[in-house]
Amino acid sequence: MTSQRKRGLFIASFILPTFVIYCIFTLYPIIRALYISLFEWSGASDNMNYIGFNNFRDMFADPIIYKAMVNDYFLIFWKVFGILIAALFFAVALTRFGMRGTGFYRAVFFFPNVLSIVVIAVLWRFIYNPSYGFLNGILSFILGRPVDIPWLGDSTYSIWALLPPAIWAGIGFYMLLLIAAIKSIPASLYESAEIDGARQWKQFTHITLPLIWEQVKVSVVLIVITSLNGSFAIVSVMTEGGPDNATQVLGYYLYQMGFKQYHMGYASAIGVLILVLSLVTTFVLQRLMKKEVIEIS
Amino acid sequence: MKAKRITWLGMAILLVLMVGLAGCGGNNVNNVETPPTESDTAPTTGTPDNSSTTGADTEPVVAGDFEVQYCVGGYGDAWQKSLLEQFKAKYPDVNIKESAGPKINDQMKPRWIQGDPPDLVFIDCAGGIDVLQAVKDNQLMDLTEWFKTAENTDGELISDILIAQPQSIDEKTYAIPFVFGSWGTFYNQALFKENNWEVPTDFDSFLAVSEKIQASGISPYVHTGVHIGYFQGGFLFPAIVSNNGDDPTILEDMAAMKPGVYESEPVMKALQQVVTMRDRGFIDKASVALNHTDSQIQFVQQKAAFIPNGLWVENEMKNDTPDGFEFGMIPSITQAPGGKYIANPYSSPVAVAQKAKNPEAAKAFIQFMFTKQAAVEWAELTGALMNVKVDLNGTNASGLSISASKYYSSPDLVVLPAIAFNADLEKEMLNATLALTDNKITPEKWVERVEAAAEKLRAKN
Repeated sequence: MTSQRKRGLFIASFILPTFVIYCIFTLYPIIRALYISLFEWSGASDNMNYIGFNNFRDMFADPIIYKAMVNDYFLIFWKVFGILIAALFFAVALTRFGMRGTGFYRAVFFFPNVLSIVVIAVLWRFIYNPSYGFLNGILSFILGRPVDIPWLGDSTYSIWALLPPAIWAGIGFYMLLLIAAIKSIPASLYESAEIDGARQWKQFTHITLPLIWEQVKVSVVLIVITSLNGSFAIVSVMTEGGPDNATQVLGYYLYQMGFKQYHMGYASAIGVLILVLSLVTTFVLQRLMKKEVIEIS
Repeated sequence: MKAKRITWLGMAILLVLMVGLAGCGGNNVNNVETPPTESDTAPTTGTPDNSSTTGADTEPVVAGDFEVQYCVGGYGDAWQKSLLEQFKAKYPDVNIKESAGPKINDQMKPRWIQGDPPDLVFIDCAGGIDVLQAVKDNQLMDLTEWFKTAENTDGELISDILIAQPQSIDEKTYAIPFVFGSWGTFYNQALFKENNWEVPTDFDSFLAVSEKIQASGISPYVHTGVHIGYFQGGFLFPAIVSNNGDDPTILEDMAAMKPGVYESEPVMKALQQVVTMRDRGFIDKASVALNHTDSQIQFVQQKAAFIPNGLWVENEMKNDTPDGFEFGMIPSITQAPGGKYIANPYSSPVAVAQKAKNPEAAKAFIQFMFTKQAAVEWAELTGALMNVKVDLNGTNASGLSISASKYYSSPDLVVLPAIAFNADLEKEMLNATLALTDNKITPEKWVERVEAAAEKLRAKN
């Protein structure tokens, strides 16, 4: 055996198993979903009816799809905004402000990440409960009159009510990501900036942000992808897409169509739509956030 | 040394590949559609055989492998186990295979998909078969002719002794309801006695007492907005039937999506009743945001006086109900003064698979299970009611079951058939009903939306 073949075999021994697993658990389901999306199928019988692109045609005529897309992007926009601002602030505060007890705060802020999203959603259902919920309780106390707003029941505002739990649950992870990035910036840069008279804000905009831009980009993309695919859980537990589709998102609509209304083909078509949207959004965002990469040499 | 390492690596790769390929192989098997089994075309000799089934142990047809699917959920499995044992004693040549468990619906799903279903299926628990969809997919056997003359092992016509009749789907019978429960309006008897409120007997008295309740600072009526089906089952559907002169066929017409039925007078009148209740502020504002647990907690904490729900609610809320709380149930509150009560049932049906390999045994078991004796046993073992008119007095059944069973055999009560709606239509109807209770749409808009959903489905079929 030549050394080159040995090397090739060695590399293959790492790549092949991963590739095989990737094929089985990622590639195959994607291809299968594409295939199913061309059928009319209840998902419960051997009765599959080839209908070409009819599911996609129906999808573009379905007003709920557009509503769900708008809601999805609404959640994405505010989640990116809210999570990044909060995570950045906490990360900078815990690394650059020289506070005491940073370890404690780091653990506390990370805590929601340890909880299952279902637990978080149930918890927030209690907070939002119109009659004995925490939020209305506080409001009643402050305003001095009984407040009974059905937060999750209003067709216009219930989608806003999904944001706080979604943001709250996301901060910890991105905070850690950014802390790690900030910590890798050499302290000498900050020291010289301080000598030159730069305050915290200047340091942040001129040193921290440019040097952690790569991680910020990664965070944005991750939030976008996890929102498109993961809004399902929070919607499922908190509102089931209601009232009257006011909080419908693509992920939950897929589930509802596939498993509650027995249109597995249509659900697969929604899955394909989510895939396309994820790819397009990621691509566009990468383009938008393209900046000259600043590296420490 | 190096050569050895490479051999190891090679073997590791081989192993992983084998596992991977095995996985692929497994997946492929799922794709292969099993050819339809020959039993598909087996002649239905049911009708002539049945007449002789009564007491005839020599029945030659009831033999061989017989597979039953039932889930072990809220009702347990004691009744099925006992009945199957008795069945085996009666027909020793039958070889019973039980496919049972709490997750059996998921476990059996691949076999239904591959066209290899069990013979008999008890449709219950989460993930159970949707009857309408299964009929559309040709998965359930048409029992129409057989059921017309089917007698139980005591020689009684089964259709005579059922409380709720099976739904007629395109004039055909596929699934026979075996558990009986009913939607209704629940209230706290103690609270009503304490305040001297009269228990409503019709819609007018409901409005009158709601006024008093509201004046006392309690919400008259709370429902679960997230699962508005409770409201439809306990309020809207009985209202529609009451307004149709107690004739339940209108619900079957609605389920069959007959053109014009949604804008018919009974439906409009019923929707108007919802509007009346809504506009007088009797519906708790919180309802729209509540799921079933939330709304039931609201109810047992006496923040609301009435709640539309099912007979299971007392049991479900056992741990959260304060002392002194006495559940009371009114079958319907929407009838005109002097009108009959409407009991809208919910039920879990039993059905025979279209591709059953032993349909004769499955039918024989249905004849075996719909007896009064089996119904008593069901009540005693589960505390619930079986869908059979039976006198439970003197049995070990719970007090609630005994009083409920008397109720449902009474002539002053119209029991609706168990009706399932197409899932798409139902979803739109639920959304529209919620919007109506929340003052977002008018009854006309409700009709328009439901009719549009039905029209879409009609166009597809």
